[in-house]
Amino acid sequence: MARGSNVGANGCSPLRSPEYNMSNNPCLSFSGVSKSFISRNGEIVRAVEDVTFDVPRGSVSCLAGMTGCGKTTILRLAAGLDTPDSGTIISPSGEIGYLTQQHTLLPWMTTADNIGLPLRIRGVDEPAWKARVGEIINSLGLAGFGSLYPYELSGGMRQRAAIGRLMAAEASCWLLDEPFSSLDERTRHQLQGLLLETANSANVTVLLVTHSIDEAVWLADRIWIVSAGPGRIVESLEIAEPRPRNRMSDEFGARMESVRKRLEAAIG
Amino acid sequence: MFPSAKWHDRAPVRYALGSIIPGLVILAWWLGARSGSAVVPGFGEVFNVLAHPFDEPPDLNSRSLAFSVMMTLIRLFLGFALAIITAVPLGILAARNRVVEYVFSPIVELARPINPIVLLPIITVLLGVSSIATVVYGQTEAWRHDVPDQVQTAMILILWYGAFFPIYTGTIQGVRGVSTAWLESMRLMGATGAQTVRHVILPHTLPFIANGMRIALGTVWLVVIAAEIFPGTRSGLGYMLCTACKTSEYEYTFSAIIVIGAIGLATNSLLRRFEERTGHWRAVQM
Repeated sequence: MARGSNVGANGCSPLRSPEYNMSNNPCLSFSGVSKSFISRNGEIVRAVEDVTFDVPRGSVSCLAGMTGCGKTTILRLAAGLDTPDSGTIISPSGEIGYLTQQHTLLPWMTTADNIGLPLRIRGVDEPAWKARVGEIINSLGLAGFGSLYPYELSGGMRQRAAIGRLMAAEASCWLLDEPFSSLDERTRHQLQGLLLETANSANVTVLLVTHSIDEAVWLADRIWIVSAGPGRIVESLEIAEPRPRNRMSDEFGARMESVRKRLEAAIG
Repeated sequence: MFPSAKWHDRAPVRYALGSIIPGLVILAWWLGARSGSAVVPGFGEVFNVLAHPFDEPPDLNSRSLAFSVMMTLIRLFLGFALAIITAVPLGILAARNRVVEYVFSPIVELARPINPIVLLPIITVLLGVSSIATVVYGQTEAWRHDVPDQVQTAMILILWYGAFFPIYTGTIQGVRGVSTAWLESMRLMGATGAQTVRHVILPHTLPFIANGMRIALGTVWLVVIAAEIFPGTRSGLGYMLCTACKTSEYEYTFSAIIVIGAIGLATNSLLRRFEERTGHWRAVQM
């Protein structure tokens, strides 16, 4: 189901036409979206302004930019956790999975119970959800760890479990806010591979926020560069290299350099 | 993630270390008894009382030790239970609704520092000598129901007063401490309000409630023993303790003290286990 949001005192961007058909159109669409916050001392902070972009269905896209440029704000607006001051957001409401650097696993539940939580919320009966959780645990390399609590797992294993919870939720759109940035390089690469594999097999659309150029180039079909103060989409880069991508190759290095230059040019 | 167990963490060693000071106390008691002191009874006299808890003391205007224990525990339980069923829901409401908090917060902050014991005379005057029996069966029939007739409503009220605030405060802390990120996750998973309470708010809050209960228990133990010394009470461990002192039957005084300590230790241990079980996840930072 699509969610259209058309709020703001300064008038609204036009909604899409009634013929809009989600199955032929982007999974996620921002049109002229702006958002401000009021700081503790009463100052109005314009976080993002006039953000417009579409995320194609089934693709992996990245929002790249400096820290504090509004990437997280854009992701939270896409998830419906915040409402825009103006503009329109079309997103698959009710089918969104959200994952941050802080995995948000519930510490008083075992890993298996955490992964199975979306199924229990939907009312799936116990044998069925336990079976599904077992499949997910095995596919994520967490076999034998289901009965442990999140605080008994390593950081990488917690993020795997968090991805497992996204899989159980059967969300069609995953919004990931720097999910691997606190992990070591080797674990990060492993989880990036796992993310691609699970997203492809579940035919999920992914929008990932990152400040790592390596991560963006390795994962994404498209990178949107976000400038700071206030956040705006200033450039869109298509990454057409076929997968699997080789970090050691000259082409990858050249692409990274190109993205880095475009990023630096865009943010000034 | 977890520190490895040290030599002093092993159960036999822990119990041995915990026995040092009680052992010294028993030694002091033994030496006092041997010195011929009039106020320190011998081990045998005290053991005799503890070994025959159902015997009515021959020269003491008090019921048996077992009956005294029962009356103290009934009063404590009623006051404590009343505190839990009022403090927890009110704490949850106050934590989630600012209007409720603004209504109750001033009176809670005002009332909390007041020692419940100092309120007993006023509350006794207000409620008279009414008991559970007078409330349930009426003034004329109350005397037929021995045990409920000895559970004074004024005492239950001040026990409730003593237990209410730590549990209320703990509940508020627990509910307020729930991370927004967890609540947002639940929202995105399509959880209803009841599911969010069941899977997030309640499990997060339980160890805080348990901690509040443990603090409250310490308070109500002091209050119930002190209240039983108050004129108008005819039974209970505090009553026995005080009466025995007045008639120099110190073996009953010492027995009452030992029983109070033992029950206090047992109830505190139970609550500590409950707190640890519900809050095992709090000890480790993720």
